[in-house]
Amino acid sequence: MQQNRINETHQVSPVNAFFIVTGSQIVVNILKFQSVVTEDAEQDAWISVLLMGLGTLLVMWCILRLLNNEQNYGQPDLFSIHKRFFGSWIGNLLNLAIILYEALGAILYLRAYIEILNVWLFPRLSPLGFAAIFSLLIWTVVIGGFRTITGAFFLNFIYLLPLYFINTFIFSDAHFSNLLPMADHSMADLSNSLIKASSCFLGFESILFYYPFIKRPKLAVKWCYFGLLNTTYTYLLLTIQGLVYFNIGELRTLVWPVLTFWKSIHFPLVDRFEYIGIIYWLTVLIPNVSLGAWIVSRGVKQIAPVIKQKYALVAFLLILTAVCAIMQSRPQIEWINALISHIGFYLVFVYIPFLLIWQWLLKIKEGKSQ
Amino acid sequence: MRKLLNIAAVPLLFLGGCMQDNIIDDILMVEAEGYDYIGNDQVIGTITTPNYAQGGVSGSGGGGGPATASMMTSASAITYDGRSLVEKLTPEGQKAIRAGKLRVQLFNEALLRHGLKKLIHFRNQDPDVGRDLFLVMVDGNSKDLLQSTYQTAIPVSRYIYDLIFQNQQQNYPRSNLSTVLYNYYGYNTDPFMPIIKKEQDHIVLTGIALLKRDQYVGRLNGQQEAFLLKTLIENFNYGFYDYTFKPNQHVVLENVNSSRHYDVKNGNSAEPNIYATVTLKGYVRQGNPLLATQDYYSEIQTGIQSEIKRALEKMVVGFQKMDVDPIGIGDIARSYTRHFDERSWPERYPRAHFHAKVKVMLVETGISNVR
Repeated sequence: MQQNRINETHQVSPVNAFFIVTGSQIVVNILKFQSVVTEDAEQDAWISVLLMGLGTLLVMWCILRLLNNEQNYGQPDLFSIHKRFFGSWIGNLLNLAIILYEALGAILYLRAYIEILNVWLFPRLSPLGFAAIFSLLIWTVVIGGFRTITGAFFLNFIYLLPLYFINTFIFSDAHFSNLLPMADHSMADLSNSLIKASSCFLGFESILFYYPFIKRPKLAVKWCYFGLLNTTYTYLLLTIQGLVYFNIGELRTLVWPVLTFWKSIHFPLVDRFEYIGIIYWLTVLIPNVSLGAWIVSRGVKQIAPVIKQKYALVAFLLILTAVCAIMQSRPQIEWINALISHIGFYLVFVYIPFLLIWQWLLKIKEGKSQ
Repeated sequence: MRKLLNIAAVPLLFLGGCMQDNIIDDILMVEAEGYDYIGNDQVIGTITTPNYAQGGVSGSGGGGGPATASMMTSASAITYDGRSLVEKLTPEGQKAIRAGKLRVQLFNEALLRHGLKKLIHFRNQDPDVGRDLFLVMVDGNSKDLLQSTYQTAIPVSRYIYDLIFQNQQQNYPRSNLSTVLYNYYGYNTDPFMPIIKKEQDHIVLTGIALLKRDQYVGRLNGQQEAFLLKTLIENFNYGFYDYTFKPNQHVVLENVNSSRHYDVKNGNSAEPNIYATVTLKGYVRQGNPLLATQDYYSEIQTGIQSEIKRALEKMVVGFQKMDVDPIGIGDIARSYTRHFDERSWPERYPRAHFHAKVKVMLVETGISNVR
């Protein structure tokens, strides 16, 4: 019990929950978001996005409830929860699965970003070289501990603020009538869009892993919700911006609508904004891949305490580099993306509520046995 | 250990130099591309590039070498249509040719009649080129136009770009790659583009080319018709309209504000009704002193009103006859109709009824009293 508590010097203050939650949701997928979400619901996609945002609030409530209850029994993170609920054998198997999921997520973030770099800026940039240097960067961040990662998330949020103003550039080209007629789609279309939007909202579930690192977790609750609301607001803005600037036919032809929109912005010295924007996106990538690497290395330590976290980290970064180099083409990246979104969707909307119910059942059982 | 690693990481900063770079003095930066169709899926492609090595003002920070160092400024070759000229012209390029800063793309009428589909798709797919370049139709030959010399010393690409840019601030509706792609990929809308023409040592903007999907079907001539089209497409505030009150008696209305509003009735019926309300606010810039009436605020105002109304309705009927929709009436009908039937719209479009309602408000008539 005692050894499980995280030393206060490694913890972060409650406000940081906001930066981490919102930062881990807005990653590389946001650049594809507009064409993905408008595929089915077309001009009504913003309804789906709004509903999805509210859905994430519900899931967050489940997560916080689960973790808060768990404080009475042991360390409130998913690895310990698995072990307590299902015993050490099955629990560790589940932990392995969840580590694989997180690892795949981190790999996907990096590889998808390299893909964008390759397509838009440097066709001859080798994924291996970039991933290797980037891994070194990630290594310095993660070895600094969770506080450094939080700092990276904070900076990420600050750095992204100017990008919100970029949206004002659409006004000269906006066709607001594209949003009409409102609510013209069936529930089936809306829910299809909702499910597709979910892949962009994923990421906030990583609070399952870093919750013990938040000081006074009760105070962090509202910041978690604010983080989710901020993401929902961002996505809502983006959906409307995409619908108003492009039309549906055009959105269907575009892979990265956000970047295509940036393509038409220019400043006196910067003729094409997307060149700045894509490089800027590195600040989004650093904290997210770091968090993934941190979760994976920490998970490995929890499963097999023999392996020290720093060795697990190095091993993961080597794998990260290797997999990034192995993945060569867009179909492979898209395949992994689809896989992750599916797993993530069920993890967040089915598995987490299930865990909460299981916890409740366990509690009843305990009460009866006493 | 960690310190050592950090120090070892410093040289990595220099890896940035290992990527391919495009130094502006060492490349030919394509700013204009011209395509002339010569039949059988073949085009003559022409490119022009600005010449940075040439002369330069003396004392301007050592700018440029001597005039003899000037680089090539244009090249042309025959290729199949829809192909990027950059690769085709590489054997002709003195230095590496890059298309990243393309400003204008010119097509002659034959190419537009043949169809622009491949080029539009290529432009949508290509990450190198921005979205604010102008696609322009040329009356005559685009190779001629690009390789001639003009009164101005600035490169012809920028001459064309500036010319079109300033006109689109005024009477001409905005049309660049972004809007062409928007109208091309949008359902039931058709793109349009400005037309330029070489006249001795000038370039003149002569009208607007109307495209059905990607093919030229007709044109609007002059700024007057451009103004009318613009009132239906966007809200704007720098245009001017020349109203002929009686032969030889002109009044020029300079608009300070124009806005439009649409309404659609029976959008899914066989003969939909489209109502456009255009509100023009403007002041009289030049009134002929010999005008038969001095009553600007009633007679002239209503005169302009009914003339614009008639002209708008006539213009749209013309579009319907050509079966082309640069205004995007199909898209407007979609916006204002629940469960819009998009499939049958192309058949219903020629039978749609377009009603314009124009409100002209003359705000001021200048700084002298009318006597």
